[in-house]
Amino acid sequence: MSNNNMNLNLKIWRQPKKSAPGKMVDYKVSDISPDMSFLEMLDVLNIQLVEKGEDPVVFDHDCREGICGMCSLMINGQAHGPEDRTTTCQLHMRKFRDGDTIVVEPWRAKAFPVLKDLMVDRTAFDEIISAGGFISVNTGNAPDANAIPISKENADLSMDAAACIGCGACVASCKNASAMLFVSAKVSQFSLLPQGKVESSERAVNMVNKMDELGFGNCTNEAECEASCPKGISISNIARMNREYTVGSITGK
Amino acid sequence: MSNSLAITLKSSVVKKQLIGITGLLLCGFLVTHLLGNFLLFVGPEAFNKYGHALTSNPLIYLAEAGLLALFLGHMGLALKATLENKAARPQRYYMKTKTGRGSTIASSTMPYTGAILLAFIVFHLQGIKFGAVYNVTYDGVVMRDLYKLTFEKFASLPYAAFYVVSMIAMAIHVSHGFWSAFQSVGFWHNRYTDSIRKAAIGYAVFVGLGFSILPIYCFLTGAN
Amino acid sequence: MSEKKLDSKIPEGPIQEKWDNHKFSTKLINPANKRKYKILVVGTGLAGSSAAATLSELGYKVEAFCIQDSPRRAHSIAAQGGINAAKNYTNDGDSIWRLFYDTVKGGDYRAREANVYRLAQVSANIIDQCAAQGVPFARDYGGYLANRSFGGAQVSRTFYARGQTGQQLLLGAYSSLQKEVSKGKIKVHTRCELVDVVTVDGRARGIITRDIVSGEFQKHAADAVLLCTGGYGNVYYLSTNAMASNASAAWRAYKKGAYFANPCFTQIHPTCIPVHGDHQSKLTLMSESLRNDGRVWVPKNKDDTRKPQDIPEDERDYYLERIYPSFGNLVPRDVASRNAKAQVDLGKGVGETGVAVYLDFKDAIERDGKDAIEARYGNLFEMYQRITDDDPYVVPMRIYPAVHYTMGGLWVDYNLMTTVPGLFALGEANFSDHGANRLGASALMQGLADGYFVIPYTIGGFFAENTPDGLDENHPAFEEALNESKSIFEKLLSVNGTTPVDHFHRELGKIMWEYVGMGRDQEGLKKAIEEIPQLRKKFWSDVKIPGEGNQINVELEKAARVADFLELGELMARDALDRNESCGGHFREESQTPENEALRNDEDYCHVSAWEFKGVDNSPEKHKEELNFEYVKLSQRSYK
Repeated sequence: MSNNNMNLNLKIWRQPKKSAPGKMVDYKVSDISPDMSFLEMLDVLNIQLVEKGEDPVVFDHDCREGICGMCSLMINGQAHGPEDRTTTCQLHMRKFRDGDTIVVEPWRAKAFPVLKDLMVDRTAFDEIISAGGFISVNTGNAPDANAIPISKENADLSMDAAACIGCGACVASCKNASAMLFVSAKVSQFSLLPQGKVESSERAVNMVNKMDELGFGNCTNEAECEASCPKGISISNIARMNREYTVGSITGK
Repeated sequence: MSNSLAITLKSSVVKKQLIGITGLLLCGFLVTHLLGNFLLFVGPEAFNKYGHALTSNPLIYLAEAGLLALFLGHMGLALKATLENKAARPQRYYMKTKTGRGSTIASSTMPYTGAILLAFIVFHLQGIKFGAVYNVTYDGVVMRDLYKLTFEKFASLPYAAFYVVSMIAMAIHVSHGFWSAFQSVGFWHNRYTDSIRKAAIGYAVFVGLGFSILPIYCFLTGAN
Repeated sequence: MSEKKLDSKIPEGPIQEKWDNHKFSTKLINPANKRKYKILVVGTGLAGSSAAATLSELGYKVEAFCIQDSPRRAHSIAAQGGINAAKNYTNDGDSIWRLFYDTVKGGDYRAREANVYRLAQVSANIIDQCAAQGVPFARDYGGYLANRSFGGAQVSRTFYARGQTGQQLLLGAYSSLQKEVSKGKIKVHTRCELVDVVTVDGRARGIITRDIVSGEFQKHAADAVLLCTGGYGNVYYLSTNAMASNASAAWRAYKKGAYFANPCFTQIHPTCIPVHGDHQSKLTLMSESLRNDGRVWVPKNKDDTRKPQDIPEDERDYYLERIYPSFGNLVPRDVASRNAKAQVDLGKGVGETGVAVYLDFKDAIERDGKDAIEARYGNLFEMYQRITDDDPYVVPMRIYPAVHYTMGGLWVDYNLMTTVPGLFALGEANFSDHGANRLGASALMQGLADGYFVIPYTIGGFFAENTPDGLDENHPAFEEALNESKSIFEKLLSVNGTTPVDHFHRELGKIMWEYVGMGRDQEGLKKAIEEIPQLRKKFWSDVKIPGEGNQINVELEKAARVADFLELGELMARDALDRNESCGGHFREESQTPENEALRNDEDYCHVSAWEFKGVDNSPEKHKEELNFEYVKLSQRSYK
């Protein structure tokens, strides 16, 4: 291995379970290759801990290629770490320097309770989707896919919004722990398509009301969510959702 | 009130829209207030007559009530939103760093600049509107000599300085609030959004400078 | 070995009419009666989510299970390229028949014709359904759907949503699932893992699960169980699969009597980012479309340590273009992978580790300009740079093959039912319609076909003959299975050895990659069959798992999965040894043409090998399902 390998100090949030208090704990890892991903660096720490018979640090992760949305982590105070448009699993250690101290915390929001260490419960997002984040079409009802032309511009904008991976970085980075970017991405994806337009306003109302009920904060239009989003979802989607909500709440039953 | 209406009115979206709309209306008020203030440069008579015309119109009570409602609504909703936002993250981060690509000084200090403005308004009303009454007579009509009062107040350096600081806070507050209101009501367009952001800055500079010139002018000329 | 015949239940009639005839002759369940049937769907990827949503829409009671925190995270989400469908929107001669033909041929004649034809038939409905759900497929300026060509097909039949087609299709199926959740018709159990299949009188009647958060074991009874749990590529430790992708559900079903078909059929994808070090946890795929413009080469001389830019043109070997002048860099996946390994074995590998080849865009950039290449592959180049810190516009990419997909899986009949009545397998979890090699953009098609359009019909036929009988979790079989499951986890915790789980997994991966990887021979396979049980024994005597079982314990979860991989790996080696021919992704060194191409043996191996469990330390029993090719003529593939 190359001699660019690093020794690092880690400050990691440890919390044994949901109901128990937690604290920041210091660890050291050595001989970390700059080519490792951030999660592989944590793997190294965990092997050390397991060999000592200690409980390894629990964190969510799965695909490790930036698309499943499972990984999270506040790294040095930033959601998914310092690199723009990059999930934690795609963040590489070459972004850090030998001797650095790295602070690692879980997403923090009332609606995302910590389950253990760095693992949080994001089922609130599923609840929001089931409040209206779908098009009410049963299998078998569909007309030919080319029966309804959709302008390329709208299809592209819809895809921009649909790229959301549901990781929760928007909530984590928002100083108000608001889920507006997540909700608006889904509302926008559907409201831009004729198939989704039918129930668009009703969808916005139901999803926003569910979001409020779950204890997320209010949006104060600061765009930290957009800046932290690994997929670069734009806050223009929030404006679109606000519009849909207004129409829905005025015209709705 | 039906349950669904209650939910709608309490919703995070409508709350922000109401804060935005009341904020925009207050921005309108600021402009008229500022234009009125500029009469100070014309001379005592113009300034005092303008003040008298405003206060002697019976509709002023309606206007003042409306203004009060706007202020209270804006502040009340903002306070509620701020408290809810604090509650949405009961456990703070050990370390939190801004990305540098999103929030601005203005956006992240809205509750604080708002609080400064509240303090300012109380102070301002108490000092001017409910302050010392000097009378002056023009064309046989007795009216308040607000011109004199203004110069008297701004002769004090701390007093003038407090005004200027408050007006800077106000400029910061509206530089975010102005465009944010458009976002909250759902106005977003690739062609115009950038202009609105620029207009917000322009507006903030205009009212900020405009309101600051007065105390500075009074302090400098009154002290001589 | 037994010659016992497996009944694949292929319907009678000409192939074009089989599915329609079957749908008509299958008995129906009265809508009012459907709610009396309960179905458990394990796994929420494309197959699982689409099946759960559709079955719930029909009126069945459905419960779905996934190991992640949300059904939306299943690894179907990572598919990049696209989904095939015989729409012929591009007017270039595609048809159901052509998709059927291409898939059977691409699978090197080891798939069941009737299933593949049905897959091609329903492929068009999938696109309609997904568009209606709001999947933002790519469109052209007229507003109609765009297509691209893919994976060696000669027609453009691949629909796509940027480089995230799998994500968009999964989110579509997930939103359908959540729609049913909102109506209270589906209950989703997240962070919940299947640990056993419960059978009563030989029929699947439910499952035992372990809640990953509380460590609690739970019983679930039902009228049918659907395993939609994906493939087993992680047996190699390093693969393009997600970290939690595992074979445990399929493996526990195998141990309960479901036959495992063609376990040795694995797909090794040629364009992945190479391994960089010992701590690497996973491999990342770069879309196969890169081979449209990239040229693959290695230095002509062994152990050439110069930088790629410093190696002159006449000292480079563009080996794919040299060996396969007509297909060049666009040979199928299995051929490209095998040739890369051959070059590395000759000592011509490149990069720090010497286990990689170059994929060079220099000529394409000179020809079409950097902007054109960026428009085509910008996101892939960005991803490559993020991972390797090299700029592929300047320095050739380094690539190497990696395990990507498993064509083998639980044996199922035409109705997607395993050999255990009431237990169905969908998507990558079954031995599937891809034969010995899967074509690009066909995995998404198969997962959704199974879930949206096949199982909703075929399960009715099973239910018509197996009406609800009131059996519930109180049946003693559930208590027995639960205790058995608990004891496995307790046993794992009680080993209290010295070596972390990952170590065993990595060791297993090395054995599998070395002996059951891209090229396999008798000697190596025998070695694998000898070494894997030794490693397994060591695992059970030396694995170290800190903590308790009644809480989140990631090491314990991993250990249970690795324990299953340690058994599955051996079965794969046995199957590979037994199949003494080369076909698709399975290359036996002993069976090749004089030009070193894969040589099939249709005389002896034109069958599905379905293995029956006979105990962990006993040899499994092989059953054959003969494959009859009535419509596509058997022929040797050639890409020269």
